[in-house]
Amino acid sequence: MENILLTTEEAFRTVSSGRKTVTLLDNINLTVKEGEFISLMGPSGSGKSTLLNCIGMLDDFTKGSYTFLDEPVHSLKERNRSKLYKEYIGFVFQAYHLIDELTVYENIETPLLYKSVKSSQRKAMVADILDRFNIVGKKDLFPSQLSGGQQQLVGIARALIGEPKLILADEPTGNLNSKQSEEIMKLFSELNREGVTIIQATHSESNAAYGSRIINLLDGKIVS
Amino acid sequence: MIRSYIKIAWRSLKTNRLFSIVNIVGLSIGLASTLVLFLFILQERSFDSMYANKDQIYRVLLNTTEDDLETWANVPSALAPELKANIPTIIESGRFFHHGFGESASIKTDNDVFIEDKLFWSDASILDIFNVEILKGTGSENLNNPNTILLSESTAKRYFGDENPIGKTLTIDNTTSFEVKGIFKDFSDNSSLNFNAIAPFMMQNFAKNPSWNNASFETFVMFDTATPVIRDVELKIQDILNKNVEKEALWYTFSLQPLERIHLYSSNYSDSYITNYGDINQIRNLTALALLILLIACINYMNLITARSQKRATDVGINKTLGASVKDIIIRFYIETGLITAIAMVLGGLFAVITLPIFNELAGKHLAISSLFTIKILGFLVLIWLVTTLFSGSYPALYLSRFSPKEVLKPTSNKGGIASVIRKGLVVVQFSASVVLIIGVIVIHQQLEFIQNKSLGYNPENVIAISTSGIRNGASGRALVNAYEQLPNVSAVTRSQGYPGLEVSGRSLYKRNTEKSMGIQTNRAEQNIADVLQLNLVSGQLLPKIKQQGDTLVEVLVNKTTVDFLGLSPEEAIGEKVAMQLGDNAYICGVVDDFNFASLHSPIGAYAFHNASREPKSYLLIRFENEILTETISKFENTFKAVAPNTAFKYTFLDKNLELLYEKEQRTANVGLLFSILAILVACLGLFGLAAYMAEQRNKEIGIRKVFGASVAGIVQLLSLDFIKLVLVALVISFPLALYLMNSWLQDFAYRIVISWTVFLTAGILALGIAMLTVSFQAIKAAIANPIKSLKTE
Repeated sequence: MENILLTTEEAFRTVSSGRKTVTLLDNINLTVKEGEFISLMGPSGSGKSTLLNCIGMLDDFTKGSYTFLDEPVHSLKERNRSKLYKEYIGFVFQAYHLIDELTVYENIETPLLYKSVKSSQRKAMVADILDRFNIVGKKDLFPSQLSGGQQQLVGIARALIGEPKLILADEPTGNLNSKQSEEIMKLFSELNREGVTIIQATHSESNAAYGSRIINLLDGKIVS
Repeated sequence: MIRSYIKIAWRSLKTNRLFSIVNIVGLSIGLASTLVLFLFILQERSFDSMYANKDQIYRVLLNTTEDDLETWANVPSALAPELKANIPTIIESGRFFHHGFGESASIKTDNDVFIEDKLFWSDASILDIFNVEILKGTGSENLNNPNTILLSESTAKRYFGDENPIGKTLTIDNTTSFEVKGIFKDFSDNSSLNFNAIAPFMMQNFAKNPSWNNASFETFVMFDTATPVIRDVELKIQDILNKNVEKEALWYTFSLQPLERIHLYSSNYSDSYITNYGDINQIRNLTALALLILLIACINYMNLITARSQKRATDVGINKTLGASVKDIIIRFYIETGLITAIAMVLGGLFAVITLPIFNELAGKHLAISSLFTIKILGFLVLIWLVTTLFSGSYPALYLSRFSPKEVLKPTSNKGGIASVIRKGLVVVQFSASVVLIIGVIVIHQQLEFIQNKSLGYNPENVIAISTSGIRNGASGRALVNAYEQLPNVSAVTRSQGYPGLEVSGRSLYKRNTEKSMGIQTNRAEQNIADVLQLNLVSGQLLPKIKQQGDTLVEVLVNKTTVDFLGLSPEEAIGEKVAMQLGDNAYICGVVDDFNFASLHSPIGAYAFHNASREPKSYLLIRFENEILTETISKFENTFKAVAPNTAFKYTFLDKNLELLYEKEQRTANVGLLFSILAILVACLGLFGLAAYMAEQRNKEIGIRKVFGASVAGIVQLLSLDFIKLVLVALVISFPLALYLMNSWLQDFAYRIVISWTVFLTAGILALGIAMLTVSFQAIKAAIANPIKSLKTE
């Protein structure tokens, strides 16, 4: 099953800063198949995060085409675009970005609320994922009561609850120690084996090794 | 979903204590002020709404056509019967007048003597027009017979206790006795009409000999429908007037005022027996003040919530990547705002209960706490809650909901360029409003001080006015004067119709050989009036000591303004014949310097003391030496009782009475002070909260600066300076505004202060001081914190 999830062709992102035009992404040609686990690598400022944002439709390519599940994203209206990413994409952040005022359970539940999933079904889904991530005992704690690794676990659980086709992770282990990092990366490979497509941006060679493909970026260009 | 929003809002409320307290306290003060004032406005608006025929009832007003155009609420006695007889749409008309033209009566029952402030002489039709409810005995028909009287329920109880009042007799002013025929239900607190005792108008000479010249009677008419064409009716009234009064003698026209406007729109009318008028301007001003406080509180909310926009932006971003739409975010912010305002509402209600007695005291009102718990107030609360929520929630909801989710992914967010400009603007608005209020309060106080200390041209201190309306025969009056003159601490005694500060009889003064005329206040008095009031005689002589019985010559002692109008010098005027509706035989005997016989709202007009026996001399004026007041009064009372045992002793001090003339301003000042303090308090709360967040936001910067050697003082200065700048801008904006507003307020006074620059200086220093105190607390706290803490990143 080698379906193509997304493709970009001659995609650029430029921003104007003062009188100068800065090219953040330079002629990106990329095809991602379903079931891939891609690691974006490169030094700071090479465009990893920008590329992730553009793929995640939080930012736009300013030139070129971007097709996601046969939908031409570049010509979609904002509303349809956000529908698309809400439906198919889950985000994992370096700083976890859990909602401070909500418990673990409630944080995980939130995407389902926005999708208007029925209460009984919600309960089942959240219970399921809590169980699977082995954090049932933590469900009533607030983010501030958790360690960084645990928080990121909740962040991933939250990204997964909507059953996305693609998970975008921007330095998911950047704030974690090596042991915690390893656990998270193992979790990612496991998810990948179950069929979830993952694109992560990372500095770490060892993290990148978990992926099925490594894309190196430098100054906004794909170098290998 | 909504539940989750409420949960988030509630938890973040608990986490951010300072933010929550500042907001909730500020909003609840704003809401409490609004609530109290709404109650006050409701009460004022409810006046006269209890009368079944209220839409058909109108009062006749008189508009003078002489050079000082005035509107009087009293009209001639001949008018009412003519109206009913000649205008078919008028189905009822009636007149009444306050006993002794606004004096209290001495009422003697079998057992006791009472002072009655609210004895009115009224046509029977007045009771029918206003549907006065009779509880015992018979009703309005009694007023068509002489020597009958109706009493209110509580008055009857006061006079006769639990005995049956019907059939009892009482004597008014020791002259005429009346039989109590009926008991009517007390007039309610919010009725313009408020009678304790009603005697027949027909017993008065004014009824037997109706005239078109003496405008002293409050006159009401009732139409057959609720929608009379007033313009047509007024034209018909003019026809009646033209038919009955010669054109030369006509110095007025009539107009009609609907009952519902009487309470609030009559404060500029003179000559009325209704004493509990409200003032629409006062209501407008207070409404503006209340809304201002609420606005300041709402601004606090907006400021504080956007001050934390960094955290907010992250929140919004996370929620958006999790699938929230803009609509979801807007709803979320409104729910959060709604929760805060709801809590503020409850607290505000509590504040209102506490504030109400203070407001009553300051404003001289009687609003009941129980009236806070009505459907109307509840409805108003819900409305205000919605408005406050929508208004203060609008800015965060609409501004923050636009944040793009990618903000989340950038660890260093923007500083909120527009937000910070708006925030600064809002702080400026708050402080401008506060400074205007401070200046207003100072100016009002200075003006009142000025009025109290202004030399009036006579000396109102240590003069007592004792009502002698119960003493009708001249012999007792003279006996009383003699008795008082014997007292050791009395320096001068006189009898007179009235005294400065009290309206006496308005007449017209005509300039010979011209068409010109002006209004003149005439006061029947005696020679000693000049000594009692310490008037300054400019030329001629005082009134003669004794006037022979049957002497038709009238002597007039006038003020300087009068002779100025006549075009004469004080010396030339002596012995001149003067036309001022005192007969053909009136001569000027002397001229005194001008003195302020009315309030300082109006310039000095013409004033005359005379000895024509047209009006009763209802007062005994006594100048006494300053001694222990209570002793003096009891001595005076004993003297009074010795000569007139059956008459109640009622007195006022002239200077105390003068203070009443400025009661309205005094109350405005008091209420203004209260609300200004509240407004400034709320503004400071906001500033305090804002300073706290600013300090928090710049925590890292402060840490870095300290590491590199900045002193505590330097950092305090750094943090305070931003706010000081804003307050300075506010000063620049508010000064001209305050100057304009207060100058227009001062226009109400004929004698007024010039607003000096020191007022602005004081207000400026005060505002700056308060702001600095508020901000520096936070600034110092931030400055003395250990930099290690702020620089340690997680």
